[in-house]
Amino acid sequence: MEKKRANDEFEPGPILPSQSVDRFEFIKQEQNSSEGLSTSRSANEHEREERRIRKWRKIIGVGGSDWKQYVRRKPHVVKKLIRKGIPDCLRGLVWQLISGSRDLLLMNPGVYEQLVIYETSASELDIIRDISRTFPSHVFFQQRHGPGQRSLYNVLKAYSVYDRDVGYVQGMGFLAGLLLLYMSEEDAFWLLVALLKGAVHAPMEGLYLAGLPLVQQYLFQFEQLVKEHSPKLGQHFSEEMINPSMYASQWFITLFSYSFPFPLALRIWDVFLFEGVKVVFKVGLALLKFCHDDLIKLPFEKLIHALRNFPEDAMNPDTLLPLAFSVKVSKRLEELQQEYEKRNGGTLPKAGSTNRLLQAIKHKELSIKPERSNCVQKDDPSPRILH
Amino acid sequence: MATSGNNIKSAKLVLLGDAGTGKSSLVLRFVKGQFVEFQESTIGAAFFSQTLAVNDQTVKFEIWDTAGQERYHSLAPMYYRGAAAAVIVYDITNWATFMRARKWVQELQAQGSPSTIMALAGNKADLLEARQVSAEEAQTYAQENGLFFMETSAKTASNVNDIFYQIAKRLLQSHPVQNPQGMILSDRPAQRVVSTTSCCS
Ligand SMILES: Nc1nc2c(ncn2[C@@H]2O[C@H](COP(=O)(O)OP(=O)(O)OP(=O)(O)O)[C@@H](O)[C@H]2O)c(=O)[nH]1
Ligand SMILES: [Mg+2]
Repeated sequence: MEKKRANDEFEPGPILPSQSVDRFEFIKQEQNSSEGLSTSRSANEHEREERRIRKWRKIIGVGGSDWKQYVRRKPHVVKKLIRKGIPDCLRGLVWQLISGSRDLLLMNPGVYEQLVIYETSASELDIIRDISRTFPSHVFFQQRHGPGQRSLYNVLKAYSVYDRDVGYVQGMGFLAGLLLLYMSEEDAFWLLVALLKGAVHAPMEGLYLAGLPLVQQYLFQFEQLVKEHSPKLGQHFSEEMINPSMYASQWFITLFSYSFPFPLALRIWDVFLFEGVKVVFKVGLALLKFCHDDLIKLPFEKLIHALRNFPEDAMNPDTLLPLAFSVKVSKRLEELQQEYEKRNGGTLPKAGSTNRLLQAIKHKELSIKPERSNCVQKDDPSPRILH
Repeated sequence: MATSGNNIKSAKLVLLGDAGTGKSSLVLRFVKGQFVEFQESTIGAAFFSQTLAVNDQTVKFEIWDTAGQERYHSLAPMYYRGAAAAVIVYDITNWATFMRARKWVQELQAQGSPSTIMALAGNKADLLEARQVSAEEAQTYAQENGLFFMETSAKTASNVNDIFYQIAKRLLQSHPVQNPQGMILSDRPAQRVVSTTSCCS
């Protein structure tokens, strides 16, 4: 479990000489590569980027020491900066700071190691089955039993032990994989915990629990939002019997980390970790708006195809994200959530203040515990895993 | 199955079966003639289409390839509802996937439409040395439950086109073209323009 990835730089992966990879180390497809980003940048651009990085470094402070204070003082500045994109070399660190995962890590020393080394998981075989099927075209994950696959396995296994109700669900691998490109496996694990258990925003474990309750809720909300924001398209979808589950379930289940161009996925994640899941809705709606005039003409089959293969210009973060930010959803999302809960009778855990994890962060003595494993007796008051 | 124009019938087909049994690989082989060693796991579902000529008629399959893991079960009904055909896939080298296939059959018998044609595919038939499910056992089970059965290999292409061809034949037998405005087994009207293949995932 050594730190495999530094925060600042990618390690050179085991690149086969004949393969060409893009800036994010995906093996390039012959057609359809996202050239825009991998072409050499002009000196001017380079300088601007350097200035940006210096600015960010100053805000973060050494090892993140100044970050919290800065966010408290100038939340709007931070929000704006993040929306412009976190510099790639600082991304891993900033993600840990804004997701609250850094705090979890510090509060739970040794827990990850315990989970990986000493616990066994009922999902081990399922995880192994999917390991080489997660980002198979990325050099870091391509090598059989290589460092990428090993850390992916460890993170997923640790999570499946940590939360036995969720266990391992297909799709989590893409989240973990994305994180592992920017941080060590222990950091990636805690970021996964922070997201699913809700360190800063509402917990998202409902994406993966039996019945996928949160996926169902998000799809309900999204369908309504489409009708409200693009009524003509909403109408066209219902005439063609297109339901958001057919194209958007993977957006929510993997938070755009599956089958979306990396440069876009990363920029979405920057904002997602800071502002919460509403940006996923915004991006989804923006995609539909961007392609509205084409989509509205297409019959079922071509429509499905188009909804899975957006044109390259729609995938440019600098085009799509400003459009996404202009879409207002917060208030309706809340109302629709209430409506959904009324219809379905249940409530999923709510945002920030009410969840247990946040309290655990506030009161350090209550550091979170992994779900009890089989080897810990039910009435044993001191799980051996902690402290 | 809906008819449009020159004897082209479109039929909604769904693939069901445990994760990693080779559903996506079978579709990829059938639609594009390809096989990849490390097929990305399917999240949600993926749609493909492919046409197949049977004598002088053409069947256009509109294929939904679903995610296999048990946890995704709640998303499956919308894909098998109204399907003209279902291919239930297991992996011959993994007994548990055969049991899971039987559960799918039960579910379709209980929840699906009675006219759905069901096929059972014992995939990865190229991995003979690792076999855990015998062909006889699967065949017996299939017969008892009114499915038709084939062992397939997406890797070598063995029986892949055949299983879709058999389904097409059965669809045409149960709903001959001479009866054009008969059954509409696809849950939407058929499209006028038919491309030979197209896919997305
Ligand atoms: N040897 C062999 N391997 C196969 C065959 N079919 C699929 N595979 C392999 O099995 C793995 C899983 O195949 P998929 O087609 O992704 O399986 P799936 O049923 O779609 O899985 P999910 O999407 O996770 O539900 C892949 O790595 C394939 O290469 C086959 O006929 N023979
Ligand atoms: Mg699949």
